[in-house]
Amino acid sequence: MRTTCFRLTSFTLALTMMFSAFPMASAHAGMISTADVIAPMNAQHDRQRIFAVLERADVVAQLQHHGVSVADAHARVAALSDSEARAMADQLENMPAGASNVLGILFSVFIILLVTDLLGLTAVFPFTRRSR
Amino acid sequence: MTRTHLMRRAAAQGVSALLVAVLLVGCAASPALRLAADDARPPRVLVTGVPFHPQSEYQCGPAALAMSLGASGTVVTADELVPAVFLPGRQGSVQPEMMAAPRRYGRVSYPVGGSLEALLTEVDAGRPVVVLQNLGLKWFPVWHYAVVIGYDLNLGDIYLHSGTTESMRMALGRFDRTWARSSRWAMLTLPPGELPATTDARTAITAIHDYEQNAGPADAAPAWVAATERWPEDELAWFARGNAHYARNELLAARDAFSEAVRLQPELGPGWINLGYLFRELGETDKARAALTNAAAIAGPWQAVALAELERLF
Repeated sequence: MRTTCFRLTSFTLALTMMFSAFPMASAHAGMISTADVIAPMNAQHDRQRIFAVLERADVVAQLQHHGVSVADAHARVAALSDSEARAMADQLENMPAGASNVLGILFSVFIILLVTDLLGLTAVFPFTRRSR
Repeated sequence: MTRTHLMRRAAAQGVSALLVAVLLVGCAASPALRLAADDARPPRVLVTGVPFHPQSEYQCGPAALAMSLGASGTVVTADELVPAVFLPGRQGSVQPEMMAAPRRYGRVSYPVGGSLEALLTEVDAGRPVVVLQNLGLKWFPVWHYAVVIGYDLNLGDIYLHSGTTESMRMALGRFDRTWARSSRWAMLTLPPGELPATTDARTAITAIHDYEQNAGPADAAPAWVAATERWPEDELAWFARGNAHYARNELLAARDAFSEAVRLQPELGPGWINLGYLFRELGETDKARAALTNAAAIAGPWQAVALAELERLF
């Protein structure tokens, strides 16, 4: 229920953003922006624009699903480029999330070597060895 | 989290850590980095002025970004960056968001990875580089962001601010194996007027454009100026520079930039159209009409716009 509500809000927001942020070519009067020229989706591809906006709404919902607050999620998605937003929408679950807790790993290495020492497989820690 | 749960997790981590240890030990004898014989870089570089932010728990992403941003002159703590890049549900940070967050702090993010040579060249140019490593194995990944701050080719070592360790020393071979598992992903955060040492025009223009979409063309102007200085033959960089000058109300500079864009690429319709608008604003009606007429002669998506504007304005 809550997610549906979020999605509906995102969708409405997305539509608002779409019509405010993307002037259509037919209404073009004034300087042509760099985005109009660089972006792969130019004025002729309104459908791609709609998809792009929906993708962003989807990323907002995914960020919230992963515990990001509504306000933060919107600010974060706003900073993404179109291709980054697309990658997030398609791939977020499979993306590597840099996270390592290095101390935890070192501790694990210590425990394992301790165990292998005690089993006689390794000889790292002198205190695990009795006189032969 | 219960104690058994913790112990089980520790045991699971332990097994993987053993495998990691075995693998790394097993690889320790493999040859170190071989650079080209004509490689002229200094054998030892340590970038100074990179603040160290130790990571807390899983937050190596925010910590690495705080260090990179700090070195570029933006003072921000790792804690402040947590709401900008950390994903609680994934207990980590993903690459697109690492690239996106610096834009909110007035910095352009550039991808610079791909090879150890490129990485060392950036370090040599005085830039700390954020890298994504997999400290574990392909099938048991331990993803980790760190910041490369120096290297010593004579010792065969690389220096990183990593995790809770300031200036950690790691053998280049070992570093490269952990880095290769992220397809050698790396990034820089730079003020808009600076460019990476190793980037190509397409990559830089995309990076600056992504910044501009967030910060606006006026703030991106120094980056476009730098891009046209580095790649003076690139008409898109000149076109973007024209728009950035225009956003700052620097009309003459904008006119010159658009003129250069269409001189380099006479088929650039939007360049002619914007040049036409500028001439008109500057009161040079004849030149304005000529520019729009040029645009109207170029087949393509902008032809209709040029024709409509000719009709409307003259």
